[in-house]
Amino acid sequence: MTTIISLTILGVLTLFLGIMKKQSWLLPVILLGLVVSMVLTLRDWNTFSSYYNGMIIVDNVSVAFSMALIFSAFLIFSLAAHYYRGVLRPLDDIYGVMIFALLGAVMMTSYGNLIMLFLGIETLSIALYVLAGSHKEAVTSNEATLKYFLLGSFLSGFLLFGIALIYGSSGSFDLGRISAFVTSCAGIYPPMFLAGLFLLIIGLAFKIAVVPFHFWAPDVYEGTPTLLTAFMATVVKTAAIIAMYRFFTHTFHGIHGVWDTTIWVMAALTILLGNLTGLYQPNLKRMLAYSSISHSGYMLLAVVAFSAMSDNALLLYTLSYSIATILAFAILILIREAHGNDYFSSLNGLAKTNPSIAFCLTIAMLSLAGIPPLAGFMAKYYLFTTALEQGLLWLVIVAIAGSAISVAYYFKPIMAMYLKESNGIKLMVETPYKVSIFFMALLVVLIGILPFLVIGLL
Amino acid sequence: MVNTVLFLIPLLPLLGFLILGLGYRTIPSKWTSFIGPGTIFLSFILSLLVFFNFHHFAISPFRHLSPWIHVGSLDIPFAFLIDPLSALMLLVVTGVGFIIHVYSVGYMKDDPGFNRFFAYMNLFVFSMLLLVLGANYPIMFIGWEGVGLCSYLLIGFWFKNHEYNNAAKKAFIMNRIGDLGFLLGMFLIFTTFNSLSFNQVFSQAKSMTMGDPTIMAITLLLFIGAVGKSAQIPLYTWLPDAMAGPTPVSALIHAATMVTAGVYMIARSNILYVLAPATMTIIGITGLATALFAASIAIFQNDIKKVLAYSTISQLGYMFVGLSVGAFTGAMFHLATHAFFKALLFLGAGSVIHALGGEQDIRNMGGLRKKLPKTYWTFLIATLAIAGIPPLSGFFSKDEILLHLFGHSPVMWNIAVAGAMMTAFYMFRLLYLTFFRNFRGTEDKLHHIHESPPVMAIPLIMLALLAAFGGLLNIPGLFGGGDWLSGFLSPVFADAAAVTALPATISHATEYLLMGVTLAGCLIMIWLAYHRYVKKEMGLLPDDASHSFPVKLIRKKYYIDELYDLIISKPILLISRFFHDVVELRFIDRMVNGVGNMVVWTGSTLRYIQTGNVGFYMFIMILGIILILFLNILI
Repeated sequence: MTTIISLTILGVLTLFLGIMKKQSWLLPVILLGLVVSMVLTLRDWNTFSSYYNGMIIVDNVSVAFSMALIFSAFLIFSLAAHYYRGVLRPLDDIYGVMIFALLGAVMMTSYGNLIMLFLGIETLSIALYVLAGSHKEAVTSNEATLKYFLLGSFLSGFLLFGIALIYGSSGSFDLGRISAFVTSCAGIYPPMFLAGLFLLIIGLAFKIAVVPFHFWAPDVYEGTPTLLTAFMATVVKTAAIIAMYRFFTHTFHGIHGVWDTTIWVMAALTILLGNLTGLYQPNLKRMLAYSSISHSGYMLLAVVAFSAMSDNALLLYTLSYSIATILAFAILILIREAHGNDYFSSLNGLAKTNPSIAFCLTIAMLSLAGIPPLAGFMAKYYLFTTALEQGLLWLVIVAIAGSAISVAYYFKPIMAMYLKESNGIKLMVETPYKVSIFFMALLVVLIGILPFLVIGLL
Repeated sequence: MVNTVLFLIPLLPLLGFLILGLGYRTIPSKWTSFIGPGTIFLSFILSLLVFFNFHHFAISPFRHLSPWIHVGSLDIPFAFLIDPLSALMLLVVTGVGFIIHVYSVGYMKDDPGFNRFFAYMNLFVFSMLLLVLGANYPIMFIGWEGVGLCSYLLIGFWFKNHEYNNAAKKAFIMNRIGDLGFLLGMFLIFTTFNSLSFNQVFSQAKSMTMGDPTIMAITLLLFIGAVGKSAQIPLYTWLPDAMAGPTPVSALIHAATMVTAGVYMIARSNILYVLAPATMTIIGITGLATALFAASIAIFQNDIKKVLAYSTISQLGYMFVGLSVGAFTGAMFHLATHAFFKALLFLGAGSVIHALGGEQDIRNMGGLRKKLPKTYWTFLIATLAIAGIPPLSGFFSKDEILLHLFGHSPVMWNIAVAGAMMTAFYMFRLLYLTFFRNFRGTEDKLHHIHESPPVMAIPLIMLALLAAFGGLLNIPGLFGGGDWLSGFLSPVFADAAAVTALPATISHATEYLLMGVTLAGCLIMIWLAYHRYVKKEMGLLPDDASHSFPVKLIRKKYYIDELYDLIISKPILLISRFFHDVVELRFIDRMVNGVGNMVVWTGSTLRYIQTGNVGFYMFIMILGIILILFLNILI
């Protein structure tokens, strides 16, 4: 609860600083505010309380994932000074909207009521529609925001319809009551309720970018300003997956026989399609978009394989995925600045001109591909083990095949950086930005070597 | 403290290897001359320390140093075993190793790979010490593989010569065949005894019945390993080729230490072997056949090092024969004395080669007695020792084996004596052709002949002393000696001795008679060699001279290399070509590439779904929604 309050205050404060014309205060205040917010969140550890008649539930899962979200946002904000350094117009609106999006994301981790879930999703989504178009002068940015808005509002309708149908059959928005209703049905569920359930799945699947509701992702990711793409690919995805995870593993777990085949098929399709299409992308940003789609598929494994271990596995997975992805986007930003594009040829010979940056990107790519001893490997290891324990052998085989395919495209930038001749352009990096990059690379290695730092938490 | 000393013995050469190996470009060769032999010398001092304070170790010979592999019921600690057998081997390896290292400083002085050479040599000594000290089969196996690797590296030390590389590969591959046997033997030991530690395996084996088929299989498999490492029939052909390496390598690895690892391993596993009489018979036949076979080839070889190589194979055969009749002490005794005199022979040969600027053909030598007096005298001592002339070391060790053999089977004794006579003949042929008569090389070479510098001559003298007096280790009761080595090693072989039936006691009179016969035979052979090669000045026929069929057969080394090429290499190459051309390229490659191409094709096709058209996206999404609702609710 304190998380939501503190983030709201931070968002308002950001806008207030804009009115006061204190542009240079913005980032320090935001970074400090995020740290404060993390500290306040941590104080809720092991409290297990609910607020406003069960509208918001704070337990260790919500605290852990809120922390992961705020930490990801913190990493992204640490890159913002560099990213927006040439921009003269006030940035308080963009930063403010980002914080409100983060607020929506945090709400999605700790909702106890479908209304809260919808509020969270809409707070997040509306903020994102704005952010996607925040580079007003760029046509691609306009295209991205329009596509995202059209498709997003369309699918939000389905989500809301699903919530309405569930309310219609169970008579409540409260997760506890819905859960009780599920039990009382004793195996025979009214079609209206089932329709509501699947519409809810569809609505959330869109946010996570799961096949066949993923189409927006590559186009929107490509058009959106890169820093905000990183935000979408990590914060938004983590929030949506944890919302789905909480809902289906807690409220609807009693009827998992009804929905798990659907999620199973969607996960398999997402892994295969995301990785296969990723093979043919000409540039790094679009490749990362497909990478993020395929990772949605892996994360769905945790939803199907709900067990005592899956909380931990999902937390480790989202965390290692987020850090590696932000790291990749951070370097992508540098490349786009230096070359004006991010075709793989722009990466040629980076190992010669900027060996440390090239090395960090290599770490990010290897972690995303799941190569030991990096975080991505451990995350995949725990997630797949959990799934195997739940008897999901075939899904794990699909996931491993997908990982094998993904290696082919994750190695493209590495090969370009290390094997091709350099085109002589050296990336210009300031020290704070470099520190952020090194910090993330270090985290990826560290989590890979010491996964029990995360894995034993929940 | 005790463990530290033990730990340091192999660690010092490893340290030397690391220093020289990592800094082989930068370390000046002056330092290398100290680091290389120095680490071995320190190990030798520590080995002496262990040896003279042996009573400390006798209480608990198993020294647990650290846990190593612990998986399920498999528990292999990193442990050393320090008992009389390994203590003896420690002294031989570090002692002879040190002398040869010192010699190498002179021999390799001008070689550009000086540092690399000593790095490999130190690594070799480290591996050999690990092999000797290991308290379980896996640690022994690490050493076993390590010495094989070093042997490979050092045979191909002059890697610019393609033939040397081939020789190195041959040695490695032949050894791999044996190693497979060793590995399978280890697996079988583990499944049988559920342990690989010597103490557990041997104490369990004690209670098994004589002739147990599992034990027989284990011992046979381990013996295959020994056959590879110790160059016995049928895996001996790598050793003559291994002479491609620098001569100190031949002395240390291919005469004194590594090739005797098989003997050591069988002596170590003595209890297993005495329980498998069938295996013992096979070892006896193999050893005897090898001893005789290699000796016959040695008679017709003209390369000074090749003669010594075949001689080594032959002498190893004697050791195995000794093992096969339960004369474990005799075999180990011969191992030690052989290390002395064979190392000396090789170093002497090295000295000759060094003096003649690389000449190895004895037909181009001769008359070196006066030119190289130190080399000649030390070489003579070694030759007398290997020929079994009393009171030099070889006489006692060979005699002990022969004596046991007679007690076991007089027929085998007869064959072995024939081999000993051949040994005397070919060794004196070598000596006469090299050092007697007149110099047969070019004038130019004659002027360049020079005695080796002290750094090479002193090791020769040290080894000559060992070769001369090494027999003192185990003077039999017959000559009023105390059989010291037998007494020292007896705890190691106590279990085996308890199981085996006592050999028939041989009276002193018979013993004298046997000795006399052997000695007389050898002396006749020496005289014969003198008659042929000094008096009649024979033995200088060129390679292409025509010979009677049996001689030609032996000169061509019985065509064994050609035979192996025909029945093993060629068919394997043929099968490999089939697998590569047909199975690999036509089926597997196409399958693998097909999967890859399919994936790429799918990816390239699927990307067209992403049209960028929002209407199309919505269409697909609606399709998805309908499908989900239809499949889940209506059906």
